Amino acid sequence: MTAKISITVTVNGTAQAADVEPRLLLADFLRENLDLTGTHVGCEHGICGACTVLMNGDSVRSCLTFAVQADGAEVETVESLGSIDELGPLQQAFREKHALQCGFCTPGMLMTATDMLRKYPLETDDDIRDGLSGNICRCTGYQNIVAAVRSAADKRDGK
Amino acid sequence: MAALAASNGDAKVLAGGQSLVPMLNFRVVDAPLFVDINGIEGLDLIEEKEDGGLRIGALTRHFALETSVSVRDRFPVLHEAMKHVAHLAIRNRGTIGGSLSHADPAAELPMMAVLLDAKIVAAGPDGEREIPAGDFFTAPLTTVLAPDEIVVAVDLPGLPAATGWGFEEFAQRRGDFAVAGVAALVTREGGTVTNTRIALMGLHDTPVRARSAEAAFGESGIEAAAVAARQDADPMNDLHGSADYRRHLAEALTRRVLTAALERAVQ
Amino acid sequence: MSPPDDIDLTRPQFIGAKVMRREDPRLLAGEGNYVADIKRHGMLHIAFRRSDHAHALITNVDVSAAQAMEGVVAVYTGADITRLANPYQATSRMKNYQATFIPPLAVDKVRYVGEAVVAVVAISRYVAEDALALVELEYESLAVLVDPEEALKPDAPKLHDDLESNILAAREFARGEVAEAFADAAATAGGRFHFTRTTPVTIEARASVAEYDKGTRTLTLHCTTQIPGIVRDKLSEIFDLPGPRIRVIAPDVGGGFGGKTSLYSEEIVACAIARDLGKPVKWVSDRMEDLMTTGNAFDEIVDAEIAVAEDGRILGVKADVIGDVGAYSIYPWTATIEPVQVVSFLPGPYRIANYAARVRAVATNKTLTGAYRGVGRPISVFVMDRLLDMAARKIGMDPAEIRRRNLVNDDEFPYKAASGLVWDKSAFQACLREAADGIGYDELRREQAAARADGRWVGIGVACYAELTGVGSRIAVAPGMPINTGTETCNVAIDSTGAVTASFGLASQGQGMETTLAQVVAEELGVKVEDVDIVLGDTASVSHGTGTYASRGAVFGGGAGILAAKAVHEKIVRVAGHLLEAAVEDIETGNGDVRVKGTDKSMTIRDLARALYSDMGRVPKDMRDEIDNLEATKVYDPFFGTTTSASHMCLIEVDPETYKVEIKRYIVVEDCGRVINPLIADGQAHGGVAQGIGVALMEEVIHDKTGQVLTASLVDYVVPSAVEIPSIDVVHVEAELPGTVGGFRGLGEGGTIGAPACIANAISDALSPLGIEIMEIPATPERLFRLVEAAKAD
Repeated sequence: MTAKISITVTVNGTAQAADVEPRLLLADFLRENLDLTGTHVGCEHGICGACTVLMNGDSVRSCLTFAVQADGAEVETVESLGSIDELGPLQQAFREKHALQCGFCTPGMLMTATDMLRKYPLETDDDIRDGLSGNICRCTGYQNIVAAVRSAADKRDGK
Repeated sequence: MAALAASNGDAKVLAGGQSLVPMLNFRVVDAPLFVDINGIEGLDLIEEKEDGGLRIGALTRHFALETSVSVRDRFPVLHEAMKHVAHLAIRNRGTIGGSLSHADPAAELPMMAVLLDAKIVAAGPDGEREIPAGDFFTAPLTTVLAPDEIVVAVDLPGLPAATGWGFEEFAQRRGDFAVAGVAALVTREGGTVTNTRIALMGLHDTPVRARSAEAAFGESGIEAAAVAARQDADPMNDLHGSADYRRHLAEALTRRVLTAALERAVQ
Repeated sequence: MSPPDDIDLTRPQFIGAKVMRREDPRLLAGEGNYVADIKRHGMLHIAFRRSDHAHALITNVDVSAAQAMEGVVAVYTGADITRLANPYQATSRMKNYQATFIPPLAVDKVRYVGEAVVAVVAISRYVAEDALALVELEYESLAVLVDPEEALKPDAPKLHDDLESNILAAREFARGEVAEAFADAAATAGGRFHFTRTTPVTIEARASVAEYDKGTRTLTLHCTTQIPGIVRDKLSEIFDLPGPRIRVIAPDVGGGFGGKTSLYSEEIVACAIARDLGKPVKWVSDRMEDLMTTGNAFDEIVDAEIAVAEDGRILGVKADVIGDVGAYSIYPWTATIEPVQVVSFLPGPYRIANYAARVRAVATNKTLTGAYRGVGRPISVFVMDRLLDMAARKIGMDPAEIRRRNLVNDDEFPYKAASGLVWDKSAFQACLREAADGIGYDELRREQAAARADGRWVGIGVACYAELTGVGSRIAVAPGMPINTGTETCNVAIDSTGAVTASFGLASQGQGMETTLAQVVAEELGVKVEDVDIVLGDTASVSHGTGTYASRGAVFGGGAGILAAKAVHEKIVRVAGHLLEAAVEDIETGNGDVRVKGTDKSMTIRDLARALYSDMGRVPKDMRDEIDNLEATKVYDPFFGTTTSASHMCLIEVDPETYKVEIKRYIVVEDCGRVINPLIADGQAHGGVAQGIGVALMEEVIHDKTGQVLTASLVDYVVPSAVEIPSIDVVHVEAELPGTVGGFRGLGEGGTIGAPACIANAISDALSPLGIEIMEIPATPERLFRLVEAAKAD
């Protein structure tokens, strides 16, 4: 067995120190070591997007990132967007637009949408669809998710 | 460098990890050692060169290329191609060095390197060398890099003024690897076309220049070039398309990109 | 039939309201409880070594090296599981049906690539997978059958030596005189249709956590199942454990679509291991396992023809269906469920006097076919509606018009369809009319003509379907299958704290039943929606239940919920009459209160519960002896079930160079009865159509000649993203309500049932100038390329 490596990752604002195998995926580190099970694993090959988190502000696939690569980085997961009693504005938009059904793709959608809203103007709904094209949903047909992100974008733009 | 050399070819270089880690997760690739090069300083810069080109560090993330004003102004065809590269999360991590080293014949950056006559700068224990893009890719997922070499930069020579461009990619879904893609650069001086470059993606073992299409365009124009592109393609049959269909796309997409490139060359 | 008189739904407060979902806060906050999230002290992890041969004898199994690896706790083979679990099979009384035993771990033979052979149990999934590589397996290859037409030949090698053939089921349907009908026809049309194999692809792959409590000798299985009751009942037999000793819980489940409605080998193996080791064990499918082993869908070849009169009336339809059902007959539905539904629903909502159809379900060396959204009916509609369009083209009639002339009219209900199914009543004609109005059909035809003149390939598609939902005990969901799918239980209880709980045998995978059923129960009781707790997916909470499948949630849950809530309401009113000193007729409930009409005498239902349960003497003994607790358990059997129907229309454009299909407009007009929550109802339609689009244009499970699954990753099995799905207009027709309690109809599958037909018709319409008819699904760019090349060559 390969020797473990000591890492410190700041997750949702809290520094987390751990000794991990080099091959431990960031997704598994979050879910198993830190009990942050909001990040979901859907495919382990970077296609479905369910595992998307933010690393140093950028959306990344936590199933394609090793925990050791997050050493010294700031990671934000869905748990940082709000709580059950106080949903964040993006989560609230998802709720209002009925943008989730089974909820399994939802954390990844929220993290991708968070990054998209920061990086792109999203002038049209096609732009939103493009931005979400790396997150697969099988329940909603995407329509309401697009509406939720549109509503968040409008808020962002003061509309 | 030392770590790579010491591993005797068993180590894998880890940059963005967007192509390598899926293979590891599937357990189709087994590497006892990774050398994570993400920490190497200074490899993620985009420098403007005097010849109008760019020198791009190997660790430059796709997202940086996508949003770079220098890229947009100096190589609009590359700017366009970046929009088709996977999805935001992949673009946040994936690197140009990684993409070129992975050498997927259906990926955008290898094809761009060939189209733009890139010089790929590799560094090894014996120093640096420059490899022309046309010589860099030898087979699917295979390059001329030695096991102890890594890409450190990509040099793009400047394009002449009045160079129009076209880029068309066909994929089953947005962001998928291309079933086929064609890009073209056409330079016009006065009323004459002085330079044509056409590159193919997903249509051969490696990204290639469509030489017969380029020649046919010079002689007889867009239609002849489009038909000739079928000969330049040597596509494979797979789940996502047959060789016949891909050859068909080679023709259709070549027609589209040449038309666009000519229009843009005039502007 | 109309809802019983004494259920007053005339002024609903919650039913029909866009109540935001109660599930959402935890799911949005990342606090959902999915099976893969479950952790138990001392939990071990299972990884499966799976067959890479499609058909072979297992000649050697050597697990010693794997067992010796550090971190590995145990390794199990087929022989071990035979010792630990009773054998089982899916039985059916259907004539000509052949059942197959399904070994949870293969014993002497493997019959499909991906079949589980060995289970490794280790301290982590990473270590368990490391150990898989050390398991030594040797096989002796057998002839592989991947073509069902080869597999059904009398001299074909048999997948199951104890069976007579590979034909696991065969049925025939006939009405009238089909031969005469065809002889008299003004035109006939038809050919060979092929609807390929797909797989559900829930974003959450399957998972199980099994734990065994040695003290109480109770096995608890948390698993990603839609059918906890069915799983519990069968595991009870497999492990000789009575109900209280085996509890099956479906917590938050990330999508099902039918792929989680079967009992899976991994669930049985996990339970066997938990019991044997006395430790909790977890198995989480990875995506490759999911794509190779979750029950597949569809996969039929249909030779069909239609005969029509000059005026477009259907004179007759004939069809011969071959269903490729994979290597075993799946539990519980059997291999019959998919292909037999194709022929029993083929006549659709149309008036057809003469019908002859045959179906054979053929075993091949592929993954088992199970139930997936639409089950058979997407193919029924694909074939029937393609035949109609083909016939319409032959006689020069508009596709919407030919349907108008053949859809059963309102005054013909109840209508017995050609296959024997009875349509009680549904707004077939109104749905078609409103779809045409909604999409602007006539204007679209004009736009199409102009586009055609410009050389563009624009097409308009139409499809109409009917299905039975909420099917009660009169017809089993899978006919001949010995499981009762015709009832569902609800227990409504107000406890001593005054809290309302409604428990069901249903399970939720995203349908929002914690909200919709709370709406129904709250309406009936007169409490607030947020004050009703819904318990789903736990076999400990009801004595019998099966689960969520066949679009039954709203009908059964709504019906049973109303009946149980009504019974509790009667008790509330009686007690209130005493406590508030008024006649029972003068008591009403609302907002959590109970009041005397026209006065300000009221109390909260919570206080009433306290009075009944805790304040001795406030309610007289006689009354308490009759009332018992504020609790009631009711079972609802809709008996027949009810017809749900819809019309789909779409506008598409085919790129004449790349053959990519773009869907520009899509409308679904459905008669789905009383809608409990319009947000949720529309969401089901969006999601169903999206899956139908995936099926129509890009999804396909592909095996090579040796039975290897070529589509074992999401790169190769392509599901639609947000770019490929358009906005979908959903319209609910306000038609006469069905006779189900509450007036609800099922609506989960409709989108998937109609979409492939609608899109195939649209593409055929777009390519009609070239004489191309779409006979094969999915209509990928590659397939369209081939069709266009062939047409141009002619």
